[in-house]
Amino acid sequence: MAHLPDGAPLPGKLFIVEGIDGSGKSTQLDILYKWLLGEGHVVVFTEWNSSPVVRQTTKKGKDRRLLTPMSFSLIHAADLADRMERQIVPALKAGAIVLADRYIYTAFARDAARGIDRAWVRNLYKFAVIPTVAFYFQVPLAESLERILTGRPELKYYEAGLDVGLSPDPYESFRLFQGRILEEYEHMIDEFNLCVIDATDTLVSQQQKVRAIVEPHLTGVLQTEPIAWREVLDRESLHGRYLNFGSGR
Amino acid sequence: MTKMQTYGYPLPGMPDHDLPGKLIVIEGTDGVGRSTQVALLREWLEQNGYGAMQTGLARSALASRGITKAKQGNALSPLTMDLFYATDFVDRLEKEIIPALRAGFVMLTDRYIYAPIARALARGADPEWIFNVYGFAIVPDAVFYLRASVGSIIPRVLAARAEFDYWESGTDFLGGTDFFQNYRTYQNSVIEQFDAMSQRFKFRIIDANREVYPVFVDLKAQISEIVADMRPR
Repeated sequence: MAHLPDGAPLPGKLFIVEGIDGSGKSTQLDILYKWLLGEGHVVVFTEWNSSPVVRQTTKKGKDRRLLTPMSFSLIHAADLADRMERQIVPALKAGAIVLADRYIYTAFARDAARGIDRAWVRNLYKFAVIPTVAFYFQVPLAESLERILTGRPELKYYEAGLDVGLSPDPYESFRLFQGRILEEYEHMIDEFNLCVIDATDTLVSQQQKVRAIVEPHLTGVLQTEPIAWREVLDRESLHGRYLNFGSGR
Repeated sequence: MTKMQTYGYPLPGMPDHDLPGKLIVIEGTDGVGRSTQVALLREWLEQNGYGAMQTGLARSALASRGITKAKQGNALSPLTMDLFYATDFVDRLEKEIIPALRAGFVMLTDRYIYAPIARALARGADPEWIFNVYGFAIVPDAVFYLRASVGSIIPRVLAARAEFDYWESGTDFLGGTDFFQNYRTYQNSVIEQFDAMSQRFKFRIIDANREVYPVFVDLKAQISEIVADMRPR
């Protein structure tokens, strides 16, 4: 079950993934998503920072470096609030599976790493649905840094935590900032009962563990209707050349 | 001096000493004449040798466009709107209000945290949640609550705008198409929320059912006292 903040159960299931950059969480969620679709489930996928109403403001704030730790925090909360009310809660009420790449724990970790009061930011997100399972992809800092920084990619200002002023060098700043975020995550494992996946394990074996944990929650979730035109194609020996195959990602 | 004191939660990077300016807030519901009074007060302060600045709800560099666009689409749920307004507020607090206070200005603020809190509460927000969200706000030197009945606001609003606004009538959550009835219902409930906050936040209540001039005279008299210690003796 996923639960509303007041404890009321919702028929759908919410699975979310968390972890520092380079933990491989998005890859794992993507593979899980495709598997669930293949099993005929109705799956809604939602990403951090993607509300159509709020995203432009966040982008403007990042591009022009207008964001302070506090406005950074609030605009991300606005983004999740919009997705919560328009996407996540309705889908869960309908009995669907919702997959979220990053959730409130990302905000708790990043905002605290930026010096925001921990109790304040936990109150801020009181509107959030309590997930069925919150996966935390645990990886040592050195390993994640190696994965991200090999090839010296260009690091974005806020991504590198340059706004925090830990170091003027983007790479050094990124290291220190990620270290702080990692520390926040580690403290949240017990606080929020996060389901820890060893992200140094192989991709396949991580996925097996994730599926084993997800599977027992899948009884009774919403199934997709068999695709209506498939029968027509079979009976009439058509290819469906002009049908729109825009499913999946 | 504006004391660096917030409503319970820290603002990261906040100055750790009092600031030489004054933070003066003009609050009240739709149509009570806030912006007129702010414009008059600013000019009066400047004529008397004070530095004065003004800011107002939803005017931040960061979020004002986003809020306007989102409102046009009617796609904004109350919760998202609450957080959008909070984003707008913190942007102005950090980028406009605190720098002005640091530089010794009288900062006239057309609606502060109380209006967005009142609109949230009128739409059913959890009071503890919304008060804590705004817990990082600096306690102003004075909050003037321009209080007027809905009956006396309606002719002013109609004369100025020729219609009842979708959001100011609460039609976003009350529904239906009776903007007039919605406006009365909603504005009355916002007034109730302001009234309920007035003790906790030490509002100075100004009777705004009156003409512009007597309201201005009242404000001027009280603000004179507040800014008196900013002049060299």
